[in-house]
Amino acid sequence: MTDEELMQAICNGDQDAYQTVVKQHLKSISHYAFRILDNQKDTEDITQEAFLKLWINAEKWQPEKAKLSTWLHRITHNLCIDYLRKHRNIQTQENVEEENEKRTDWRDSHADGEEERLQESRLKTAVNSLPENQRSALMLCHYSGFSNKEAAVIMNISVKALESAIARAKRSLRKQLSGANSAQSEEKARLRNYPNP
Amino acid sequence: MHNEMMTIEDFTHFIETYGADPNRWPIDSNKSIKGFLLDNTSAKKVLAEYQELEQRMDSYGVPEFRGLEQKVLKQALPPQRNSLLAQLLNWIIPKEASNKQLWRPAVAACLPLMFGIVLGNYYSFGIDTVIDEYDYWEGEFAFLALSDYSEGMINE
Repeated sequence: MTDEELMQAICNGDQDAYQTVVKQHLKSISHYAFRILDNQKDTEDITQEAFLKLWINAEKWQPEKAKLSTWLHRITHNLCIDYLRKHRNIQTQENVEEENEKRTDWRDSHADGEEERLQESRLKTAVNSLPENQRSALMLCHYSGFSNKEAAVIMNISVKALESAIARAKRSLRKQLSGANSAQSEEKARLRNYPNP
Repeated sequence: MHNEMMTIEDFTHFIETYGADPNRWPIDSNKSIKGFLLDNTSAKKVLAEYQELEQRMDSYGVPEFRGLEQKVLKQALPPQRNSLLAQLLNWIIPKEASNKQLWRPAVAACLPLMFGIVLGNYYSFGIDTVIDEYDYWEGEFAFLALSDYSEGMINE
């Protein structure tokens, strides 16, 4: 069945069609929500709500304007933003910079086995420190595989604004991660030269 | 973007915007970007740095959401707010047509006929099918025989 047929069936109350759509899009929707919210419980709630909204507003989807996955991501994106606005303060450029200055937490671990975990944790910290619009742009284009144009539709911004956000996000990540790496190398060198007794 | 006009800043901005994977580059810029890369070591270095960054970004894992699919599927869904006409049409001609439901369109097709019979049986709508003038067979035969009806009646 095509997306149009599935959505028409959902409009007519067909739960089998709903089940098919859920199975097709659950992974991408939950992963996107998780990368925005960084919290498993909230991600589950938002994912459930996104599919409930799909069921309720099925007749509002216009296939000539956006693909079903784009529309569904837009619903999820809006829910995530609303959630963040209600429950947390969205990070602005100013408090991001403050946080970056404070971040020195990776210097404690030096064991080889922990290296990968450390890298991932460092990446997550860096990604989560990005302002919301940059993080969303990065998630949609890099992780969810949307084109810049589709990501702009999802975020309801112009393609230029999207491209600016994604460029800033990558520049910021590159700066933070290379800074983290050089700090770690310096620490390792220091420990080699002056080992703890 | 033309190769001779491009600077390393333009190239870096392009990589930041479209990513380090050439498969994601816009077709119209692909040739000029690849041309710029061929004879520019700084551009190659920038590309390598962003490729490494993107590889690192791929390590951002997402936990497995066990039971989420069941939760989504089992959540209570409100009834769809379809119009009565849409509901009726959907009942008459179901999307998943099966032999068991063939009686529905058949009944729908017969309904106007049955309605017409019932209506015709009870209401005449002012049309009287009995013609008083032809109460007698003789008169009717005379009429059919194209004889002078009035004359015959007078003779009697």
